[in-house]
Amino acid sequence: MKTRIRLSLLLALTVAPLAFADARVEARRHFKLGMSLVTAGNYDDGIVELLQAYWIKPHPSVLFNIAKAHDAAGRPGDALNYYRKYLDTNPPDAPVVRAAMERLEAALPKIEPKPEQPEKKPEPTGPAAGALDQATLEKLNALTDRLEKALARVEALPDTATPNSPVNTAVTADAPATSDDFGVPYEETVVAASRRAQSTLEAPNATTIITGDEIRATGLQSIPEILRRVPGAEVMTMGTSSANVSFRGFNQRIANKVLVLIDGRPEYQDFLGISLWPVIPIGIEEIERIEVIRGPGSALYGANAMLGIINIITRTPGTGAKGEFTAWGGNGNTAAGSYVASGGDALKYRASVGYQQSDKYSRDYAEDRADVQSTSPEPNLGLRSARANLTTFYAFNKDISISVSGGVNRMFTEVYAIGILRNFFLDGTSGYTKVDVTGGPLKLRLFWNHLDATSGPQYEPIGQRTLVNHLEANVFDGELFFQKEFQLGGTHLFGAGISGRLKRLGWDYMSALQQELHAAAFVQDEWHPIKAVSIVASYRVDRHPLLDNGQPGYAQSPRVSVNFIPTEGQAVRASFSTAFRQPTFLESYMDLRTPVPGVNGASVLTQGNRALKPERLISFEVGYRGEFFTRGISIDAALYWNIVSDLVVLSAVNQLPADQAFDQHSQSYLLGRSNFVNDPATYTARGGELGLTWNAMPGLDVRASAAVQQIVPNENIAVCGPCTQAPVAKLNAGFVYKTPVNVDLSADVSFVSSTVWVEREPLPSDPTQITSLQNNLGAYGVVNARIGYRFLNDKVSISVVGTQLAGAHQEHPFGNNISRRVFGLIKVTP
Amino acid sequence: MKNALLMSVLIISAGCEAPPVNAGSDTRQNQHRGRIEGNVVVSSSTKGKVVVLLFDAARPPPPVGTGRPLNFTVISRETIFGSATAADVGPFTAPFTFSLVPAGSYLIRGFVDANDDFIPWYSVTAEVNRGDLGGAAVDPLTRANRDITVTVDADGNPSAVTDVPVAFSDAALVPVDRPVFEIPAGIVSVTLTNTPITLEVQSRAIDTALIKQSRPGFLVRFVDDDNDGVPDDANHDGSPEVWPRVFVRKIASNASVLLDENDLDKNGILDATGVDYEHINPQSGATIAADGQPDLVVLAAGFDVRDIASSLLDLNGKVKTTPTVVTSLKLIVQPRAIDASNPASAQVLKAVPSGKYAVTIMQSTGQTWRLPNELSPDFAERFSLPSIQSQSFVIEVP
Repeated sequence: MKTRIRLSLLLALTVAPLAFADARVEARRHFKLGMSLVTAGNYDDGIVELLQAYWIKPHPSVLFNIAKAHDAAGRPGDALNYYRKYLDTNPPDAPVVRAAMERLEAALPKIEPKPEQPEKKPEPTGPAAGALDQATLEKLNALTDRLEKALARVEALPDTATPNSPVNTAVTADAPATSDDFGVPYEETVVAASRRAQSTLEAPNATTIITGDEIRATGLQSIPEILRRVPGAEVMTMGTSSANVSFRGFNQRIANKVLVLIDGRPEYQDFLGISLWPVIPIGIEEIERIEVIRGPGSALYGANAMLGIINIITRTPGTGAKGEFTAWGGNGNTAAGSYVASGGDALKYRASVGYQQSDKYSRDYAEDRADVQSTSPEPNLGLRSARANLTTFYAFNKDISISVSGGVNRMFTEVYAIGILRNFFLDGTSGYTKVDVTGGPLKLRLFWNHLDATSGPQYEPIGQRTLVNHLEANVFDGELFFQKEFQLGGTHLFGAGISGRLKRLGWDYMSALQQELHAAAFVQDEWHPIKAVSIVASYRVDRHPLLDNGQPGYAQSPRVSVNFIPTEGQAVRASFSTAFRQPTFLESYMDLRTPVPGVNGASVLTQGNRALKPERLISFEVGYRGEFFTRGISIDAALYWNIVSDLVVLSAVNQLPADQAFDQHSQSYLLGRSNFVNDPATYTARGGELGLTWNAMPGLDVRASAAVQQIVPNENIAVCGPCTQAPVAKLNAGFVYKTPVNVDLSADVSFVSSTVWVEREPLPSDPTQITSLQNNLGAYGVVNARIGYRFLNDKVSISVVGTQLAGAHQEHPFGNNISRRVFGLIKVTP
Repeated sequence: MKNALLMSVLIISAGCEAPPVNAGSDTRQNQHRGRIEGNVVVSSSTKGKVVVLLFDAARPPPPVGTGRPLNFTVISRETIFGSATAADVGPFTAPFTFSLVPAGSYLIRGFVDANDDFIPWYSVTAEVNRGDLGGAAVDPLTRANRDITVTVDADGNPSAVTDVPVAFSDAALVPVDRPVFEIPAGIVSVTLTNTPITLEVQSRAIDTALIKQSRPGFLVRFVDDDNDGVPDDANHDGSPEVWPRVFVRKIASNASVLLDENDLDKNGILDATGVDYEHINPQSGATIAADGQPDLVVLAAGFDVRDIASSLLDLNGKVKTTPTVVTSLKLIVQPRAIDASNPASAQVLKAVPSGKYAVTIMQSTGQTWRLPNELSPDFAERFSLPSIQSQSFVIEVP
């Protein structure tokens, strides 16, 4: 038997390359195939597949299943061997396993041990055997040698805990074990959808997982650029460091309807309502995976998770390479480097430092102009970030653990402001501190987000009053979450939590320091009345200090989702949910006199509105997810029908009373006042998304997605900005190929259909007339590609990465002219 | 490996250039403008914030023309006068800039807003009043008003004009309030049919927190541009020309009586498209079809000063060089409409267009007053201005 397994494994190894486009995907394919063979009674071939999966990416549950297969095949000795390896990983079902082992051990003496036979080289049998010539035999002998080495590596893996994959998620006796580690091996799991690790098949929302392997295979260093592969994602790159991301429409300058989390900590900047990507104090190389929830998530996350959630999950402290150095440089004065260290014994850590800089894609104005000057301290710079991050983890025992993390980022970035404003710079320091405590079913999370920056328009007319300003933002947040599983008419996975958040913002664009205290409570039950069906009911209520016409009020966010898994790997889903976005500090408290371009003595007063209602979304969604593991294909499809109301928009500029016409503060005459108001119109957004991934052959992953959408107003309105600003069609396709000769290839192609952007502008002929102008933006394509080479046993890799290779274009009429960037990248894992 | 290294070197060496300039499709970024900057110099004890106004040289402000400012800027009292005492006469200086100025020729005017009552957005508050101090961009040697020209460079881009002095002195102290008026006896409208109408125009004081026109009056004098001592009659209608001047212009519509017809953007220039009327050849009486160009419709109107003519002449029967202040004038409006879109060649309309007409009186100082205006009860509350019934007066043509 051993010989047969070894021969099968040998043959597999001779076909399979030693690199994988996405180790998890390939391991899962072998695992699924192995399990199906074992179920069919083909134990030996099944075990070979399971061994292959384990070799690619160790997972304790694979050991368990190999043991079970051996047991079923009547080989208690082999079964015991793998059960022992499994027990070494501290599985939660250890008592059950020990019972099984006792049964096997009891049976062992009854089995006549076979005399140990010296290992023989496999000899070919069958009709063709006689046809083998000497050369073929020698080749087979050589392959057999490799088989034995490979098997030795497989058998050694649990002890060495050093897989050939760049990311090792194996649970060893040293590593903290969580229930998530013992789920279905290699399953695409998502945490953000239900606040617990679950299969994407079970998730109540449309989800997309982008793994760390996948990210690194692309060579891309920008998270928004990576998100283009999410079906339906709207990525609007404005500049090197400025990008707006939305799902299912409603993208805009200062996109504010998607919640971005880093390990569960919001990166939402409350003063603007935007996620500033360069503020994130971690590097691409630290990302374990990115979970993208397409659709509303307010039922668990409250405000701002209106159109989607992007949860960036970083590598667990103590896992992965002990040290990893990355550097890259290229055109656009691009230069960057980072070092990530990971290790520790009882106290595990991951520490990183990094630096990155890059010029703008294009400057809006030349130097030495007679009319406009740069007011940016770095006129050419688009991004500079010097960051450091430390994450630690300590487990007191299996149930109680604590994680403390913190990061700081000294950064310079761009932000495209709203209204008649344009490209701003943001030069400052951000930081955070976060503590996660797990105690049995309770999880406590505390964090502090901080931002201290100087900001201002990058260009201002010479002689015009400047809008350079300073801001300091602090967010203190605490959340207690309880989770418990119980049986009542089926299995229930129950979770409930409470949270509070204090926000403080001092900003020159507001009249005084403002602070808000928010509170929320939420509850969710995932009920499995039968194995194939799950019903998820969630409800969250948020208390906001201004939601009731300027007084404290409540926003309620229910969600109901039904998930049906008729056969393994197939799931259909239907959900109803609501979500909201609370007004930002900008929208509630702004008090800004914006100079009217071309009229030096005039300003437009833009003021916040404390009586704003939250933006509202009601969403209906049906989805399908299918995984055809034997073919390596997975399909993700979703249809949605969203009704959006109370969008927060800027009103027209309304003339002020005469006694308020002159503003002493700015010593200018106020042309009028524009308030943030709730758009009286409601909009219906409907569309569909289709995503396809295909593990075409070992080493080659192919992916494609398409999304179509239509947004229409529910009332007659003259100009519908949200309707024309949302691209009707978005396409994306790409591949990652890790060749057997250590050369890695990847490419991504995206297409976004044309749009018309409705933006407020002063009339060139009369700047005192500020009206909405329609700006046409043509369809555009984006091509990103990488070619890399690995050597020194994969410890070193060099790559050339090209981004925006399809040609220069704009993704918003006011944005940079996005153009080709090519950089060389080296990664060293000592 | 060598190729990879070579590529890396190429990439890095190619990465040092500055980002290219690309305005993209942003309309504003594609504009190339110049700027005008200089210093205001105030030599007077009059103090207040300084308002500097930029005019198209081809469209000068009243009294020379009817131009409206293209741009204006404000210099705060603190910036220019600092802690100067009331008696200090300076000179006080402060810089000013007009941003985003297209190529062209310009005039610069300004004033010290001594009364702190200037608001550019309302016709009733958008001009100087008694006590304000006027100023202008002048030649530093001759002290004559000068045109400021923003030229274009070799690339066709407007340039910067710097070091422009704008002088303010007591010689330009505004002596009177604006010609605020009303039609007495509570008349808020009259109807013009086929016969001329005569209206008594009475000056009216307004003294509120926002508007202080406490001593308005009409500065009356004969026009004598050729300085021959004889009143001019430029239009050869047999009546001597007189200051103040009066314009009776057609209003845009009943809904927007503050707007003149064919100037809906209130920039003082006829709109590109608008209402057009049939003209008539005054000699032959033949009808001239509408030409598709918007018309600037005014009614033939003038002040009848025969009752006070003697007071406008000196003892030698020559035109007085100083005006006579009166508080009442007789206005005659003819049932004859003129298209004044080309002032050098005014055209007579075939018929008087029906609708409402506004009356504007312009002093020789350039100060004006228009009825109806924002003090009309229809608007005053919305703008937080004093409500005065008489300020809603209109002439109606059925």
